[in-house]
Amino acid sequence: MKLCIIPLIVLIISLGLLGMTYMETGLPIQPGLDFKGGIAVSIITDESVDDIKASFADYPLVSVNEGINQGKYLKFGPMDDDKVRTLTSAIESKYKDAKIDHIGSSFGKTLQDQAMLALIMSFIGMAIVVFVIFRSFVPAAAVVISAFADMVMSAGAMNLLGIQLSLGTTAALLMLIGYSVDSDILLTSRVLKRKGKFDEKIQGAFHTGFIMTTTTFGAIFAMWVISWIGGIQIIWEISTVLLIGLIFDFMNTWLTNAGILKWYMTEGKGKLSTSQRGGN
Amino acid sequence: MIETIKDYRVAIYLIMIIASLIVIFPHPGPSGLETNLQFGLDLSGGSWIQLEYGAAVVTFKNTMPVDQFVSDLSKKLDAEVFLIETDKIEIRKDVSEEELKTIFSGMQTELVAYNKGVTKETAEDIKRILENKINSLGTRDAKIYVITGLNGVSRYVRLELAGVSMTQAQEIVGKQGKFEIRVVTTANQSEHVVFGDVIESVANPAQNPPNSNNWGVSFALTPDGAEQFRQAAIEHGAVKDPNNHNLVMILDGKTVYSAPLSAELAGSLQARASPNLIASTGVGESGKEDAKLLEIHLRNGALPVEVRIAGSGSVSAELGDQFKLWCLLAGIFALIAVGIAVFVRYHEPGIVLPMVMINASEIIILLAITTFFMQLDLATIAGLIAVLGTSIDQLVIITDEILHEGKVPSPNLYMKRLKRALGIIIASAATIVIAMLPLALMDLSSLRGFAIITILGVLVGVLVTRPAYGRIIMAILSK
Repeated sequence: MKLCIIPLIVLIISLGLLGMTYMETGLPIQPGLDFKGGIAVSIITDESVDDIKASFADYPLVSVNEGINQGKYLKFGPMDDDKVRTLTSAIESKYKDAKIDHIGSSFGKTLQDQAMLALIMSFIGMAIVVFVIFRSFVPAAAVVISAFADMVMSAGAMNLLGIQLSLGTTAALLMLIGYSVDSDILLTSRVLKRKGKFDEKIQGAFHTGFIMTTTTFGAIFAMWVISWIGGIQIIWEISTVLLIGLIFDFMNTWLTNAGILKWYMTEGKGKLSTSQRGGN
Repeated sequence: MIETIKDYRVAIYLIMIIASLIVIFPHPGPSGLETNLQFGLDLSGGSWIQLEYGAAVVTFKNTMPVDQFVSDLSKKLDAEVFLIETDKIEIRKDVSEEELKTIFSGMQTELVAYNKGVTKETAEDIKRILENKINSLGTRDAKIYVITGLNGVSRYVRLELAGVSMTQAQEIVGKQGKFEIRVVTTANQSEHVVFGDVIESVANPAQNPPNSNNWGVSFALTPDGAEQFRQAAIEHGAVKDPNNHNLVMILDGKTVYSAPLSAELAGSLQARASPNLIASTGVGESGKEDAKLLEIHLRNGALPVEVRIAGSGSVSAELGDQFKLWCLLAGIFALIAVGIAVFVRYHEPGIVLPMVMINASEIIILLAITTFFMQLDLATIAGLIAVLGTSIDQLVIITDEILHEGKVPSPNLYMKRLKRALGIIIASAATIVIAMLPLALMDLSSLRGFAIITILGVLVGVLVTRPAYGRIIMAILSK
């Protein structure tokens, strides 16, 4: 159980961060524009941030982010339909290459409710599948706990880094459930179903797990770099959260999950079930 | 080699790849390389608008006669109220649950369920009206999606207009058509009778007389409008000689209806104005269809319920093209990154090449599947790359399971281990599918594509490419 101490501390800190954000906003993660309502605009312009701020002084401009390649990403707060119309026509007449996304506040609320529901349902669904696969409480619980820790820690990191909950980051958190379970299932299957010493089995699994994480990390990292250069906000958001999640997943698989399994195999009733099952 | 290809897993994989390439059909076209891939708005340029209905579908319980309840409620709300089932009504007004509860309690009625939105039937009507409006403006490449919840109530409708700016899109949706009735004077000359603003109400298409096979739409004019109509009809000869002086309805410059006054109406118009008119559209199914269309025209393209813009967005075509290029680059670099990572681990081109090939071919198969029923947008492409990430994970699991202790086992043991590896893979695939299912079923706008592509990716991987990889890698390693 010693292994679990570091993840436990990180988990507690993350839960604290989520709690603080919850008190502040009513949601565990800062809701972004997709859920609060507002307008997001991607443009390519050589104007400076100050110029842009000045030219949109009449509108509730929240932030201007700069990408490379003169790409700018503008966020506006919610406004009424008429103002939306004047703003969009102003943007379209001034910038030819614009991407505009506008979400009304009530639609945002609907999206937010559905996104929360999706997160909860996904998690429950995943837990059921994991329990069905392993049919043995402690190992299944270890996988579910690791996945839970992944999501909570990633969400905590999002709050810390100021990444908001949007449609993209919701998708990324859901995808993390999948990524997280991948290496956990490998570890658990290796430990429960193979013959041999526990430490050797963990080592073998770690070898495979390490390469799994690095290849996935590589693919997502490429996506992250390119979407940053290209100014593709939604892909950038998804890949950022996935990268953070992969790092936490690595820790949770090899410390949290492995720690619980080790305790289960040495002190719990795991010894019995391995000898019953035999290896193959 | 031949033996490997004959293996059914490898054969299926090869057939899928070839079929996919045929489906995608890359070929040189006037603007560079063309394919059958369907691109969504954010890659091809255009606008979307999502509208929310100001209406509600309500289930109620009371002891009052239903007809009376509906007409009383309609008066109280000053809104159209339609009975859908014996205990369910559609209120075509933006009324909140609280407001309705207060009104209901005054009518000794219990509010059982309240859902914002309209019935599926009304939603389809609205879709038809919007389609018509868009077509009449010459914007051909438009898609309209009725978004219906699991409870059968539709709250939103989404319009996607390719190659149209957001300002134009807002105009199209907000714009009312210009409707005019004219009367034919001589062969191809006509005179103005009334504009659409004098049409007070329009009924749904109905048989006229009732239960006959003759279809028509009745509509009512304001008293002033009816008088104008009468005078024009008398002045231009439509009353005396109806058959040579058709009445013509024109919407945005296009003739949508033309027919003479009925003998009966011509007779009565001489004496007095008639505010209630019926436009007959003919017999049978075609008459019914025409009547539906005419109803839309008579309504000036106005929707039966009020709508608000819930969300909207646009991407310029140039930016869409740039996004396409970046997405392609992201995919290629992701594959290269995967290749490098795998090479560092195995140092064996015989393993690395098939891995990367399988990975790339999974993307090709998925792209081919998307051409049948979905569009590629940015979220879908992010999903594709995320799939690439899980897919390589699973190829690594297979490789490591098989190469246990660095040795290539005998064919017998090999198949046993491959089975075990596939077991792990199926388990993790099942969890990904379950995790993504809520997103695929809900309508969280752009994320549906992301979820569907992830699920498809996992299925293609488990059913086709990973078993094939197991066989291919065996053939290579046992050389």
